[in-house]
Formats: sequence, structure tokens, C-alpha cells
Amino acid sequence: MSESETVVNESGDTTSKLPILAAVVALVGLADGVYLTIHHYTAEPVPCGDAFDCGAVLNSLYSEIAGIPLAAFGAAAYFLAFSLALLTAFGNRVMWKLFSIQVVLMSLFTLYLLYLQAFVIKAWCQFCLISAGITFTLLIIAMISKLTRAK
Amino acid sequence: MNNKSKKNSSLTPIVIIGLVLVIAVGGGYMLFKTSTAPKAKTSVANKTPDTSAQKYPSAPLGAQPPNMLGSPMAKVTLEEFADFQCGTCAAKYPMTKELIQAYGNRIQFVFRNYPLAIPAHDKAYDAAVAAEAAGMQGKFWDMKRELFLNQASWSTASDFRAILEEYATKIGLDVAKFKSDMSGTAAKSRVDNDLQRGRALGVNSTPTFFINGEMIPFEQIKDTQTMKALIDAELAKANSANQNTAPANNAN
Repeated sequence: MSESETVVNESGDTTSKLPILAAVVALVGLADGVYLTIHHYTAEPVPCGDAFDCGAVLNSLYSEIAGIPLAAFGAAAYFLAFSLALLTAFGNRVMWKLFSIQVVLMSLFTLYLLYLQAFVIKAWCQFCLISAGITFTLLIIAMISKLTRAK
Repeated sequence: MNNKSKKNSSLTPIVIIGLVLVIAVGGGYMLFKTSTAPKAKTSVANKTPDTSAQKYPSAPLGAQPPNMLGSPMAKVTLEEFADFQCGTCAAKYPMTKELIQAYGNRIQFVFRNYPLAIPAHDKAYDAAVAAEAAGMQGKFWDMKRELFLNQASWSTASDFRAILEEYATKIGLDVAKFKSDMSGTAAKSRVDNDLQRGRALGVNSTPTFFINGEMIPFEQIKDTQTMKALIDAELAKANSANQNTAPANNAN
């Protein structure tokens, strides 16, 4: 009985810190996605540094799927990631598995988007790179969690 | 007691998730509604150091001669870059129509094709070519009107080509010539020339308006009155410049 309690507590430690961190990081991603979605609909150019060409990326052939801006899909994905991480932080471990699967899928899609920016559109948009950074951070969090649990 | 606290803790994340959703959707919507002028100015300024077409003398001229209404001698030029499949462009159609009617020969209105290459606008380029093909029979503006006013019916239609031919018949085109012009290179190259000009001027969304070469921030094109105020200001500027030069000419 006391042994099983210890196990719960140990896993409780990992689940409480990493998922909270993941939830916070996902919130930043959500803000980024919402911001880009608004810009998509207001058709206002986003503030863009000299090294970037946000217009070329955000108005490209790849900026919409079925008429819905990719940024909105991003915002929805971050919202889901946030929700799963938060539910995990409150003790629902199954959600962490779903979170990890989602983050892996998001990372693969992010790689595809980075490929598009680098080789197809040949232009970069810093808000897309921030989003890529956030996705990879979530992936790293999921991996750390997996590794610490494996130990 | 224990059960109660368990229930509470299982409700907490749901409440937080709900709050985040409300903030993200509500906040996003509020920001969308209140996107302000200075914000757009900053972003435009950041995107390209200068958005003035006049300050881009090297910008390609676009299709020549341009699709133009009003007077080429007018002191104020209103240039619109638009996409026939863009909802906002269609929504702005009555506004430009009103401006053209209100100012007549006091302004020069130039329409530029700027079909966006995005999947949702899969027919935008062909629609622009159709308008140019109609223009080859002197009916550019009629086709433009048909395309904007009936945007909802053709933009998702599978028999898009047939609908275009319907419009061609309706506005009195020689349909056989219209079809051959649509597949020819002349109409396409006019669209491509406009696109090149738009890109050089930093157009990255539609509709984008320029008044005497100055890009107008998007929120200022939201209503006709604001546009009229901008045009009036340019006309006043041109008039006062005239008055200043007139006495000088007389003195000489």
C-alpha cells in the first residue's frame, strides 16, 4: 500500500512540473496563432524584420487549408496541447500520452512548414519561426518526461 | 468530503480551459474589431521602409494601358489592387463605384489585378484573365461588375468556365473571341504585369488602395467617408499647389 503511494507521488512530481511548463509554453503558441489568425482576416501586414518576408509566407499558397488560415489550425492545436497538459497537471495521465502523440505530429508538420519556407516560398516569417520554436519546446518537454519516467 | 474535493479538483482544469478558450476567442475577436490605424502604420513601415509608389520609380508600370476610369489628367489617382475571389474586394465594390461616380473626372481610378495564389482563391487568376479578355472587347468594367456582384455563385462552382461564358453573353461579348482571348497570352500577360507592379509596391493583401502612390492603411478603406476625406485632402493639396504656381506664371 505504502509502495503504491510512493509510486503515485513520484509520478505526481514529474506530471505536475513538466505539464504545467508545457501548458504555459502552449499558451504562448496559442497567442501567436491567434495573432496571426487576426492578421490573416484583417489583411493587415504583420510587423516584419528586414531578414523576413512575412507577407510572402502568410499570403502564400500554403497559408490556408480549405479556406481556413493555417494560423487558426495552429491556434487550435496549441489550445488542445494546453488543455491536455493542464488536465495532466491535475492528475489525468492518459492526457499526457495524448499530449505526447499530438506534439510529435505537430513537430512533423512543423518540419514540413520549415521546409516550405526554406525551399518552396524561400522566405521566412518570424511568427512562424516562433511557432516552430514553441512546438519543438513542447516536443523536448514530452521527451524529457518520457526519459525521466523510463528511468 | 474527500469526494467533494476530488470533484472540485477535476472541475478546476475544465474551468481554466474554458477561461482560456473564452479569452483566446473573445480577445482575438476584440482585437480583430479594434485593429487600429497606428498599428497598421507601424506594421507597414516595418514591412517595407517606404510604401509610396511614387518613391518606387523602378516599380513595373503594370498592364498598359491600365484599366482606367475618370480622367488621366486628374490630379489624384486612386489605384486599387484587387482579387475577384476576395470577399473584402467584392464588399468594397460599391465603395469604389460610389467614389468613381462622386469624383468623375476629378480623379483617375486605376484597377489592378492582384489574384492571390492561395488555394481558397483557386479561380482568382482565371477570373482576372476573364476580366482582361472582356477588356479586349471594351467590356472590362462590365465583367468586373459581374464577377464582384456574383462572386458567391461562381467562386465555389464547378462549372466556373460555363458561368464566365454566361456573363460574357450577358454583357454582350463575342463569346468565341472571349474564349480564345482567355486562352491566349495577351490577357494573361496583362494580369501578370499588374501582379508584378503590385509586388514591387509591397502589396501583400487585397484590396490594397493607393492614393497618389501612398498605400492606404486597410482600416481607412473601411468606409466611403474616410476614403472621400483622403481624396479631398489630396485634391485640396493639388489645388493649393496650382494656386501657388498660377500667380508665378502670370508674373512671368
